[in-house]
Amino acid sequence: MPKSLKVGIWTFIGSFLFLMFYGFQSVLVAAIGALLIAIFGVLLALPLPDVVKSGLLTGIIGLVFVIAYAVERPAIALLGAMITGVSAALMASYRQHKTDLRAGAIQGALAGAVGGALTAIALFLVWLYIVPAAGVTNIAYAKLLSETIPLGASLGSDVAIIGWLSALTLLISMLLGALMGMARTVEGVRGNLLSYAILGLVVLLIPILDRQTELQLLNAFIPVFVFILLALGLNIVVGYAGLLDLGYAAFFAIGAYTTGMLSSPLHDTHWNFWLVIWIAAAVAACAGVILGAPTLPLRGDYLAIVTLGFGEIVPILFRNLGGGGPNGSLTLKLFGGQLGTADIAGFTVMDQVNLTGGVAGINPIDPPKLPGIVFGPQNQVPWFYLLVAIMMLTLFLINRLRGSRQGRAWTALREDELAADAMGINTVRTKLLAFAMGATFSGFAGAFYGAYVSAIFPTSFDFSVSIIVLCMVILGGLGNMAGVIVGGLLIMGADRLILPQTSNLIRKVVQHQQNTLDLPTYRDITQWRLLLFGMVLVLMMLVRPEGLLPNARRRAELHPDEDTAEQENATLFDAERDPQLAGH
Amino acid sequence: MATRSVSQSGDPVEVHQRPWLTTRRVIIIVSTIVFLALFGIPLLNVGYKMVETPSLFLQQVVTGLTKGTYLAIIALGYTLVYGIIELINFAHGEVYMMGAFFSLSLIGLFGLSGESSALALTFGLVGIMICTMTFTAVLNASIERFAYRPLRNAPRLAPLISAIGVSFMLQNVGILWGDHNLWDNLADWTGIDRLTRIGDAMGSNMVAPKSFPSLLPNRQVPFIPDSWFTFTWKSLLVVVVSLSLLGALYAFVRFTKLGKAMRATAQDRDASRLMGINVDLTISLTFLIGGALGGAAGMLVGLYTGTAVFNMGFTAGLLAFTAAVLGGIGNILGSALGGLLIGLLLALSDQYLGSRWSNAVIFAILVLILVFRPTGLLGEEGGQKA
Repeated sequence: MPKSLKVGIWTFIGSFLFLMFYGFQSVLVAAIGALLIAIFGVLLALPLPDVVKSGLLTGIIGLVFVIAYAVERPAIALLGAMITGVSAALMASYRQHKTDLRAGAIQGALAGAVGGALTAIALFLVWLYIVPAAGVTNIAYAKLLSETIPLGASLGSDVAIIGWLSALTLLISMLLGALMGMARTVEGVRGNLLSYAILGLVVLLIPILDRQTELQLLNAFIPVFVFILLALGLNIVVGYAGLLDLGYAAFFAIGAYTTGMLSSPLHDTHWNFWLVIWIAAAVAACAGVILGAPTLPLRGDYLAIVTLGFGEIVPILFRNLGGGGPNGSLTLKLFGGQLGTADIAGFTVMDQVNLTGGVAGINPIDPPKLPGIVFGPQNQVPWFYLLVAIMMLTLFLINRLRGSRQGRAWTALREDELAADAMGINTVRTKLLAFAMGATFSGFAGAFYGAYVSAIFPTSFDFSVSIIVLCMVILGGLGNMAGVIVGGLLIMGADRLILPQTSNLIRKVVQHQQNTLDLPTYRDITQWRLLLFGMVLVLMMLVRPEGLLPNARRRAELHPDEDTAEQENATLFDAERDPQLAGH
Repeated sequence: MATRSVSQSGDPVEVHQRPWLTTRRVIIIVSTIVFLALFGIPLLNVGYKMVETPSLFLQQVVTGLTKGTYLAIIALGYTLVYGIIELINFAHGEVYMMGAFFSLSLIGLFGLSGESSALALTFGLVGIMICTMTFTAVLNASIERFAYRPLRNAPRLAPLISAIGVSFMLQNVGILWGDHNLWDNLADWTGIDRLTRIGDAMGSNMVAPKSFPSLLPNRQVPFIPDSWFTFTWKSLLVVVVSLSLLGALYAFVRFTKLGKAMRATAQDRDASRLMGINVDLTISLTFLIGGALGGAAGMLVGLYTGTAVFNMGFTAGLLAFTAAVLGGIGNILGSALGGLLIGLLLALSDQYLGSRWSNAVIFAILVLILVFRPTGLLGEEGGQKA
């Protein structure tokens, strides 16, 4: 209880500091918001059933989505319901595992219902308060509703449509929750496969929903997924093998630039994307080995700094190898033949090859070609499905890798390098393979990203990319794939989906309320993203350094007094007591 | 490659000597050959250019050493903190940036400009420097208090990530600080009209580089003839202030009781606690000193180069960290030496390779040092600790 009050007070102070720029009305808003958060905290601290708590926690996702988007695109509630339902059921089963199919279904449905209800309530609030505050008239909103909501046109009045939308939200959330709850009751690999199938169903439904209800969110979803792909790759290096890599964007850049150089008008090579993506992954893997080799004797902070150095050098190289003025700059010509012939004294600088397009980058890059399907900037759906296919491949490969001999070698290396070496693990090979595998997946991501955005610049791969990806891994939970995906969804989702839209909404409300057209830049919430981002990092480290969904071993490491360690010890104890297992 | 030797008891013992041509050496030789094949001729060209016009070379050396003195001051902040709690304080570069912003705001607030009288300038600048150093010292110490101290016994990754988080937050503060609308509105609410002067000093674009008024005299110093190289009063001031700060710090750590406590804490935290040293206080003190030095460097750089940007801390921080590592991290004189060397290299590579390669050169040096001599030039101890 006191903790939630503390959080409420701090939120109040924080939102006050931010909102005081908006005048005194908003201080009231801050007070109400802080009060709500405090109430929420108290609710979570009360001895409520796990089902309700999971529903409340995951309902926040739907709530935030709805508040940010529903003024312009009310159908967002359906998307929010899908995400909330699945995650509520997942969280409920994570907190309290059920084995009975029916009990699981009820648990999932209840959790989903609570989350869906929260989303629906948010929808009503938006309709009642935020829509008029943003200056959208009732008639305009009713028209928007009837145009974008399925069956909306036949229902007529806006009250009816909102009611129908809320019912649909609740229903979808409950249905998906129940499905997920049932899937979680199945033990072992089949259960995991079922859960993945349901997640896949949701992901595959997103483009259809998007197209039907004009959400136009795919171009925001695709970068989110690209970054999750990157985070999954980095998780191999940092999470599994325990090598802190602060220059991961270098491999992303290498993948993207390989694609750009092989299939663009720059060198007039138009290789097929389906070939190039494999070449990009292979080149990135080689780069992983080459950049990983000098770091082999290093540990801890020094490793982090060297990788950071590489992460800075690679974009600089891509920038500087793009031709440019010869005077006073170090230039090189690799296969031009003049290298040896020029006399040194009168050596004006050799003319330079434009390898990478320099500051101007590479633009345009060829899209993939498939018979009957057009990959273009207007048509996002094939890109989305292609990315989902790459992600499924990645998830499959990493899942197999983790359990393999190599994966266990990584874990051993992370736990104790000396002991791993003594046990006969080839530490050099293991480390290099970790770098190479991590780089491979970012090569995939880079190739896709290059083809998707069709224009790449050296500045797209700077330090902040490495850090954002690292934060996704750490926030979600090092070494746990589900955690990494959750972390990625939260960070990139907030960055690409929520923040810009919220900023838009605030601008609209302020403009309507104060009748001013321009908003000073410091009031724009997107200008605050670094601050919010840094704050999340610091708070995360202070409150829960192991991440949201940590892997069990790491949690035991960080909280030795908690029951996870006891559980492991108990298992160990049982195993020792068991005469069959003990082997004597 | 086994040689036969005789042990004390007289039995022959096989002693294995490692072959000279190890894999590591093969890799080094091959990469050196590749490097020379690629860059050999351009490097020769660079060497030729250096000899061709010695005056230009000398000028670059002087500029580089001037830059090196303030890099050394920033590097000290890294080295002190790393020496005492083994943390790469990523936020230090941002503390330096905040120093530049704070001093620019004060200069704007007090209305100092190139036309002010010499007396006003002297007292104003000294006062502003003291205020700036206090501000950044307190800032740095509070960062330690709230973001690092709770993580003292956490795994090493945790404070590092926390430091990166703080660095992001401060960068954002730098962005917002540079918005003149913010200062104008603050002036409206508080009724202090003078605050708009800070807004004026920040210019119209919040993320654009801020320009300092030219306050330091840009004339050649009298005791060096023009024909040798250009050396202005401005450079002289930067060098003198930096070197005296450096000397003061060295004397403090070497000769005072608190300095002794700092060295003891750096060596063994638990043992010094047993000896009655207040470890938390000593660490706070280290951050205070580091922050003050960073703020002073920020102000000096602002006055010397005339600009300050919200992301100036990242690059400068990496340069300074490289300097600290080059000299031997944890070693005060080493960091000073490293700073000078990095400044020199930076100036030379700006002149002869082109400034767009400078960062790559510096990072390549960083990587090479860490790989081949992690203890740095003057470091004695085992260097990295896992």
